[in-house]
Amino acid sequence: MTQQDILRLNICLNNLSVNFEERFELHDINWQIEPQQHWVITGTNGAGKSALAAVLAKVGDITAGTIDGLPKQVAVVSFEAQAELIDAELKKDDADIMDVISEGTSVHDILFESCRDLELAKQLSVKFDLEKLMDRAFRKLSTGESRKVMLIRALASKPDLLILDEPFDGLDVNTLAMLQEHLQTLVDTTGMIMVLNRFDEFPAFISDIAYVDNGRLQHQIRRDDAQAFAELYQLLHLKTTNLSVPQADVETAIPALDPNQPLVHLRDISIKYGDQIIIDKLNWIIKANQHWQLSGPNGSGKTALLSLITGDHPQCYVNDISVFGFKRGSGESIWQIKQFIGYVSTALQWEYRVGTSLRNVIVSGFYDSIGLYSKFTEKQGQIADQWLDLLGMSDRADQPFNKMSYGDQRLLLIARAMVKHPPLLILDEPCLGLDDMNRELVLALIEKICADSETSVLYVNHHPEDKIKGIDNFLALV
Amino acid sequence: MSNNYFNTLPLREQLAQLAKCRFMHISEFPDGVEALKGKKMVVIGCGAQGLAQGMNLRDSGCDVSYTLRAAAIAEKRQSWKNATENGFTVGTYDELIPTADVVLNLTPDKQHTSVVNAIMPLMKQDACLSYSHGFNIVEEGMKIREDLTVIMVAPKCPGSEVRNEYVRGFGVPTLIAVHEDNDPKGEGLALAKAYAVGTGGHKAGVLMSSFIAEVKSDLMGEQTILCGMLQTGSLLCFDKMIEEGVDAAYASKLVQYGWETITEALKYGGVTNMLDRLSNPAKIKCFDLADELKQIMRPLYNKHQDDIINGTFSSVMMEDWANDDVNLLGWRADTAETAFEKTPAGDIEISEQEYFDHGILMVAMVKAGVELAFETMTAAGIIADSAYYESLHETPLIANTIARKKLYEMNATISDTAEYGCYLYNHACIPLLADFMKGIKTDVIGRGLNLDDLGVDNARLIEVNSQLRSHPVEAIGATLRGHMSDMKKIV
Repeated sequence: MTQQDILRLNICLNNLSVNFEERFELHDINWQIEPQQHWVITGTNGAGKSALAAVLAKVGDITAGTIDGLPKQVAVVSFEAQAELIDAELKKDDADIMDVISEGTSVHDILFESCRDLELAKQLSVKFDLEKLMDRAFRKLSTGESRKVMLIRALASKPDLLILDEPFDGLDVNTLAMLQEHLQTLVDTTGMIMVLNRFDEFPAFISDIAYVDNGRLQHQIRRDDAQAFAELYQLLHLKTTNLSVPQADVETAIPALDPNQPLVHLRDISIKYGDQIIIDKLNWIIKANQHWQLSGPNGSGKTALLSLITGDHPQCYVNDISVFGFKRGSGESIWQIKQFIGYVSTALQWEYRVGTSLRNVIVSGFYDSIGLYSKFTEKQGQIADQWLDLLGMSDRADQPFNKMSYGDQRLLLIARAMVKHPPLLILDEPCLGLDDMNRELVLALIEKICADSETSVLYVNHHPEDKIKGIDNFLALV
Repeated sequence: MSNNYFNTLPLREQLAQLAKCRFMHISEFPDGVEALKGKKMVVIGCGAQGLAQGMNLRDSGCDVSYTLRAAAIAEKRQSWKNATENGFTVGTYDELIPTADVVLNLTPDKQHTSVVNAIMPLMKQDACLSYSHGFNIVEEGMKIREDLTVIMVAPKCPGSEVRNEYVRGFGVPTLIAVHEDNDPKGEGLALAKAYAVGTGGHKAGVLMSSFIAEVKSDLMGEQTILCGMLQTGSLLCFDKMIEEGVDAAYASKLVQYGWETITEALKYGGVTNMLDRLSNPAKIKCFDLADELKQIMRPLYNKHQDDIINGTFSSVMMEDWANDDVNLLGWRADTAETAFEKTPAGDIEISEQEYFDHGILMVAMVKAGVELAFETMTAAGIIADSAYYESLHETPLIANTIARKKLYEMNATISDTAEYGCYLYNHACIPLLADFMKGIKTDVIGRGLNLDDLGVDNARLIEVNSQLRSHPVEAIGATLRGHMSDMKKIV
């Protein structure tokens, strides 16, 4: 593409209304993306940011108005696209009918099949440090690793228009800097539209900001208009709720633990895949009432380590692990262990694809189930409703969970994890994919939980600036 | 040579065994996995089903390890990798079977005789041998050492679902049974219940059945409605559409994905809901077609059930096993050569509703097949609960396999018994429906009715609706689905 082409990139949305499978609607969008402009779309969770970006990739049914000037080559990177690809990989898995365990498509094939610029894809794979993962199955990658694959795929397709929906979330500091640098080199050849929640992440080349609220494009401001920029920031930071965490259910309380016994005791534990050693002889004790932050780059084994504690990793049976007084592999069941843990992660959110109501999702935290399969008590239902009040979602209590926006789902899953007031709350990158306002809400909520002496928080995070008061123990993986 | 166990029983006992099937309430499992605590469980075979069950049992607090043939261990085959990568102890029969309190035989039917003959001399006095399918005991008449307890625990879903549902905190419907000739200490039921709890099955519903009822109903369901009818229907519907000039890529897609879409409606609301998805005129048309199909096919369903009950089916199939599967492999190769199999589905968009509107004949075939299989089984003395699970409940699972793999792979992946029976059914049913198919046009398969006027006669609609809703498979279906009403759609 030549410079003349980018000069010609001129997209015009005129009184456009778009329907997304009855899930969401955009109304009366008037938006002009002019040559040499690069936009950020921002707004609160569920406002329609991702929807507006998706319209540029021809997603959704146009019910009114027009859209003109869309280029042929459009590339999209988003959590939805990532989830879709992983979902497609899971569907390809024939283990259930073939009676074999299948690995799925390799990273190499995902990257290089139908790639427009092999050389660029190769260079980027080196830069992004993905070479050693080329033979790994795509769906076995960590969240951050699979995000990198999506980015390279999009960049190597040499798009005329590049849509990046929260591209920086889940990337470690080095990768983030490198990506920013690469995007900077594209400013004269590629139109860029980014959905971003964190104002501090706006790249320098962003020229304009679109603020979306309730399915409408409410404000369009120039980056260099300092006052408008500050107001928008404040608008997003507006906190409307006086947080107070609902109580636990006394009727179905968790069994009491010996306060002098560590919650978690890992002795010389190792995690290996084939010959590859992810974690080597790690010792870790989490005592009652301690709060921990766990950090480390993509692929350093953070999630694997957590799943040894939760009992979701099969290698918990070949390591020396004691949790909540149970020595693993001594005849305990995982449900005896899970009752003491609240857990939130991106992977859980991908697993939690259920059409059950918001209330039921929160209640399912009492039963440690994905979906709800038990009759619950009246009291549990009331507590769930109090959480919905806190989250500002009372009016949606009976709506299906899988129709909620990504950020709303995350808030609900945090409520689900905390609803039983577990002795240990594990938050694996709980802010991934959340906007500023909700990020602050979540962080404030976690601080409240930390201040409450009954629950120990184990917090996993990339962003050094997302510090939480009350967390004073740190474990860094390399 | 094998000796059919069922045929050695007196008639009264045969009928009593066939009629065994009772839905167990979750409150009947207060002891959890207690009966298995401290016992050593050794699983033979580590495919998807074996791995899923073992992982669930271990996560429920049971002591699980895997035994494989020495060659599989030496060559580090996939089964060896499955077990070791998940942190299980793996050993040969000689190493592990003598230590086992419970041996879980999760190998394919065809291997049962050789596997059981190999492990039986190695098993501890008074240990327990568990099957997930009763063919070896019932049809091949395998005699198990008198001191051993013999049970069956059969999750009614593929291995990946057995594991995924457990991890979600749920389970899959599971059938359990005790072989009464081998229950020397009377502990078979307690062990089978604990095993079902260990795999999470008790949360989704356990059916207490008998080895005989399981085998005779399972064989009947799989060879008629589940695999046979869908295979026959696929070929007939596709060929008809081609003959009538429907675009081949469209026809292929309509058939390949149509079964899955229409039986999804069946899964949630029975035959009634499946037909309720049609417009009123289409529903009446479909109802009449199904009636006609039932009349033509009833003798065939009766013959299949008779051959299964008197052992003819299994003895014919075992002759083929002894003859290196000549028939089976030949038929499998023929399937690969059919026009439907060779025409890839196009990328035409077909909406969920269009699968119903353009597939009226397919809906009629599912209705006829489900009802006939259910009626034939219950007439043979199999209890309604069993007949429901082996007909209506499992149809969407096979439909899903066809959507993903078409017919050739569907046949290669289902059990050997299902595949053999499927071909027998298919070869008899296609000529049987030849005349019927001559009268079929694209209004019921391929293009839809396309009526301007959707009016119908009130009296006729009431009659059709009432007949639909009063079929016995709908009554038992409503009850059993009600037991599982807590199970939310997980998509």
